[in-house]
Amino acid sequence: MKITALRLYNVKRFAGKGIALEGIGDGVNVLCAANEFGKSTSFEALHALFFQPHSGTPSDVQRLRPYSGGNPLVEAEILTEQGAYRLTKQFYGGRRATVIDIPSGRLVAQADEAENFISNLIRGGTAGPAGLLWVRQGITGIEKRSRSEEDGDKRARENLLTSVQGEVEAMTGGRRMAEIVDACNDELHRLVTPTMRPKGGGPYEAALEHHKRLEEEEKRLAGEVAALREALDKRIIAQKRLDELQDPEEVVRRRGDVDKAQAAYEKAKEHGAKLKTAVAEATLARSRLDSIKQELETFRDALKRSGELADELAKAETRCGEARARREAASMFLERVMADVKAAETEEHEAQQLLARLDAALAARKAAEELTELRERLEQAEAVRKEIEEGEAAHIFLAVPAKAAEELQALEIELASLKAAREASLPTFSVVYREGCDGRVRRSGAPVPGALECGFEDIDELEIEDVGTLTLRSNRPADADAALEKTEEKRRGLFESTGVSSLAELGRRQASANEKDSDLKLLRQKLDHLAPDGVVKLREEVARRDAAISSEPEVEGDPEAARQVHDAARQKVTERLNRWREAQPQRGNADDMLTRAEADRAGIEAQLAHLSGALGPLDKRELREQALANNVARQQRLFEEADGYRAELEAAAPDIESAEATLRRVQSVQDDAARESEKLRIDLAELNGLISTRSDDAVEELWREASEALAAAADRVKKFEAEIAVLDRLRNVLQEARSSARDLYLQPVITELRPLLGLLFDDISIEFDETTLLPQTIRRNGLEENVDRLSGGMREQLSVLTRLAFARLLARDGRPAPVILDDALVYSDDDRIEKMFDALHRQSRDQQIIVFSCRQRAFAKLGGRVLEMIPWTPTS
Amino acid sequence: MFRFIHSSDLHLGKRFGNFPEDLRGRLRESRHGIIERLASQARDNGANIILLAGDTFDTETPSPEVRRQALAEIRHDSSLRWILLPGNHDSLQAAQLWSDLKADAPDNIVFATEAETIALAPGIVLLPAPCTTRRPGRDLTEWMDRADTPEGSIRIGLAHGAIRSFSEDDAASDVIAPDRAKRAGLDYLALGDWHGAVAVDDRTHYSGTPEPDRFKHDRPGQALLVSIAGRDAHPEVRPLETGSFLWRSVRLELLSSDDAVETLEALLPAERKRREILMRIIASGRTRVAGRTALAAAVAHAAPEFAYLELDDTGVETECESDDLDLIDRAGALRQTAETLLAQSNDEKRNAAERNIARAALVRLFSYCEKIAK
Repeated sequence: MKITALRLYNVKRFAGKGIALEGIGDGVNVLCAANEFGKSTSFEALHALFFQPHSGTPSDVQRLRPYSGGNPLVEAEILTEQGAYRLTKQFYGGRRATVIDIPSGRLVAQADEAENFISNLIRGGTAGPAGLLWVRQGITGIEKRSRSEEDGDKRARENLLTSVQGEVEAMTGGRRMAEIVDACNDELHRLVTPTMRPKGGGPYEAALEHHKRLEEEEKRLAGEVAALREALDKRIIAQKRLDELQDPEEVVRRRGDVDKAQAAYEKAKEHGAKLKTAVAEATLARSRLDSIKQELETFRDALKRSGELADELAKAETRCGEARARREAASMFLERVMADVKAAETEEHEAQQLLARLDAALAARKAAEELTELRERLEQAEAVRKEIEEGEAAHIFLAVPAKAAEELQALEIELASLKAAREASLPTFSVVYREGCDGRVRRSGAPVPGALECGFEDIDELEIEDVGTLTLRSNRPADADAALEKTEEKRRGLFESTGVSSLAELGRRQASANEKDSDLKLLRQKLDHLAPDGVVKLREEVARRDAAISSEPEVEGDPEAARQVHDAARQKVTERLNRWREAQPQRGNADDMLTRAEADRAGIEAQLAHLSGALGPLDKRELREQALANNVARQQRLFEEADGYRAELEAAAPDIESAEATLRRVQSVQDDAARESEKLRIDLAELNGLISTRSDDAVEELWREASEALAAAADRVKKFEAEIAVLDRLRNVLQEARSSARDLYLQPVITELRPLLGLLFDDISIEFDETTLLPQTIRRNGLEENVDRLSGGMREQLSVLTRLAFARLLARDGRPAPVILDDALVYSDDDRIEKMFDALHRQSRDQQIIVFSCRQRAFAKLGGRVLEMIPWTPTS
Repeated sequence: MFRFIHSSDLHLGKRFGNFPEDLRGRLRESRHGIIERLASQARDNGANIILLAGDTFDTETPSPEVRRQALAEIRHDSSLRWILLPGNHDSLQAAQLWSDLKADAPDNIVFATEAETIALAPGIVLLPAPCTTRRPGRDLTEWMDRADTPEGSIRIGLAHGAIRSFSEDDAASDVIAPDRAKRAGLDYLALGDWHGAVAVDDRTHYSGTPEPDRFKHDRPGQALLVSIAGRDAHPEVRPLETGSFLWRSVRLELLSSDDAVETLEALLPAERKRREILMRIIASGRTRVAGRTALAAAVAHAAPEFAYLELDDTGVETECESDDLDLIDRAGALRQTAETLLAQSNDEKRNAAERNIARAALVRLFSYCEKIAK
């Protein structure tokens, strides 16, 4: 098949307009136009014409429609071995498809027949599969595409290969093989997914689901049946037990047992109460007896004690008498001693008074003597004081202030040094006499000694014999001696103020002042000795003593003797007091003894009084004792009677505990039976409810049904599994066989491709993927690379070359088909693109190639027939 | 002459869950029909007593519909008396069932639920051995040996369970003594449980089910008409047709030279009856690949005419000659596939399942080739 013209109207941006490509010829045809000139539109329209049914509006058709709407029209003229035809399709409004025989203008086919005609052109039929020979802009045919698209292309490639090689078909099983594989796969994939999982919505999955559901159902029902059976069994047991419990004989027996036990228990209880009373009574009698016995005993004890106490009282009274006598004796003795003490004290007092008087007389004499001596001292002291006053006055006259003396001394020294300094600063002269001329120079008349330095003051005159007078002038400043003069003035002032005329006189005066001073010191010491507290005080002392001299009468006697008398008297007093003190404790002892004896007696008397109260009058005591003894005997008898009765009862007592235990046991047997019956009735009611519900539900029937259905379902699943295994096995073996055969039958394509590859690449070989029938790996420089990893340019080139190879196969088979490239070499560089052009031209010798491109400059080098778009309007 | 019908194993209410939905309904319905068929046979043969030797109901808890409809059918002809014995499927353990039945039962039902004598008619005594539980674990008929009956009366035993290997359940611990009739001086021992009619001895019979429910026995449903002239007289036993569905399992022996389809056709019953027949064809022997696919196709073709038809061809060896493979392809990948599969199916090193898969795959390949050729 060759395309000779393409026309379109109302397609995409050509709303209400049309364009046409006329005169498309053999070999390479190029439509080069800038973008937006409608070249891709032409390509799409051509594609739609061949591949889209006129009646449908899938997205590819929708894309053809202008934005403003309208009905796209596409027309192509083709040339086949059978003849030249015009194919026309209009989409949307007035949709139609027609095939017209061009030479005759005869309508060959329309509508579905036209579609069939076109299908035959592109798939098998007269022109063979052409779909794969289309290469779109940017699409290399190696990228991933939608599965259906991919499958369609793949199928076409397969068909191509299987059809171009008759002998290969025999080898690979060809179409039969493909169909068998398809059938096998279809059946398999009805059941499972490509990963061999149960396919959603498929019969296998449904069987599995059904099986699972039944399994659950069966399990549930089995549980219910088991529960029902359990309930039935339980009910039988419960009913049996209830019947046993409700057996009338048993009921009567149980009641009889209870009554009997109850009676026995009541009797035992009654006896127990009687015994309790008897025990209480016996105990009471016993305690009464005890208390009466006690009373008797107490009475007898008191009686005995009373006798003893009477004896003790007599003894106590005797002791009291003795104590009192002793105390009186001690008292009298003490009084006597005290009288002696008093007498001695009086004596001592008298002696003491005499002694005092003697002492006073002696003191008065001594005071008079002292006064005399003091008067003498006062006189001396007053004399010395006068002498001191005189000395002091003299001393004041002589004394020079110590400071003035020192100052004078210092001025004297300063003066001397000033004078020396003046001497040293004076100009000097000296005369050296020639022999014989000594003394001829005179100063102030006196010859000036030779060789002696002489000083002078302001002006001096030297008389030189035979010569005249030599005047010496020093020309000293006027105030040169000012300091010296000032110091001399100061000294003069000092002399005047101190009243001395020279330093020597000053020294003399100081010496005599010192002498006077030491005299004064001696005098003062003397005064201090005579009147240490001063003369005034001394005088006052004299006056005071003078006044104190008393005129005490003189007492005669020797004081020393008086003192001895007094000491003796004192001794006597001490002795007697000691005697008194010694006697004192005796008296205390006697007192204590008496107190004790009396206390004893009082205690005994109190006891006696108490006992007498308890014992009662003496005369009735014996009677009372007798009465008590009688009472004891009577009570003893009463007690013995009560205790005997108690013992009797105790011996005859029935065992109340075991009677009660028996009662409790038979009672509980009866109660348990009642309770159990009650519970059984409730259980039975529940079980009845459960059973009747379940029975009416016919769970067992359902369960049997479910388990039978489950077995059938399991069978079905197993059959599916077997079916899947069989199909899988068949498919695998088929594929193995086919892929080994395919290696052989891909050879023709590779043979065609090899020279084309050689145009572009050096030393390269290609491996095809056996399922997609597209290049999968290339091998160059001994390295294998996956096609996916190649650059866009290289993939694109490979894609185009592969299609050219397939086209060549088709052509060889006598079924040429056009190769249509739409901007197919966008990735290729200039060098490669030229090589591609070479390849295209090489192929185009017996091949129609239509190239759409926007790369005007690059494709200018392609050569070939240049197509032009011209405006076109449909005739009808 | 005392005459009665002996039947058992009605299994009323059985659901047949392993069959297709619509067939299930028909099978179930046919079981309910048993009552009327038994009644009509009784009327036709002058018997007015029908002994049911257990398993009247399929389960311990039949649905109220099953139960009440059965009772209604029985009530319909009050001239007939039905004796119901609890079997292992409807043992006395199903107390609810029996109390419900007794509550609703018409007068013409006699419940043989106690192991004690029942006077069926003057001079005729029934000795029933009801199943007390699902598995009693002992011979329930033992009491018959000691049971006293009036001098000269006919003693008829009624029991349900296995004698030796005649058991529908695998458990064999609670077998009935095979010579019970002799030991207990029974004139006739009516047994139930085994679904096929069997004469254990001339006085001891299994009636079989009146309506088969499985392929096992491969015979039509029937009941027994028993006639006893008097004490110690030999009972006369005659089978009566009662079944509506026929359950057949047929063996199909194949030789590789045979035409499998022809052989099959010869085995199939008349077309008109097929609607009431459940058939299982158990094929064995050897066949060529083509024969095998043809057989499967023929069975698939005939199946809709039957109530149920299935082919079990697991026992068939597929023979494969080179001309069989030629039918697939003479050379090329398809031939290669066929040869690989054939080799696998004959490979002794592979296990049987593997070989079967390979063989089935080969047959499948063959059928694809045929389909495509057409």
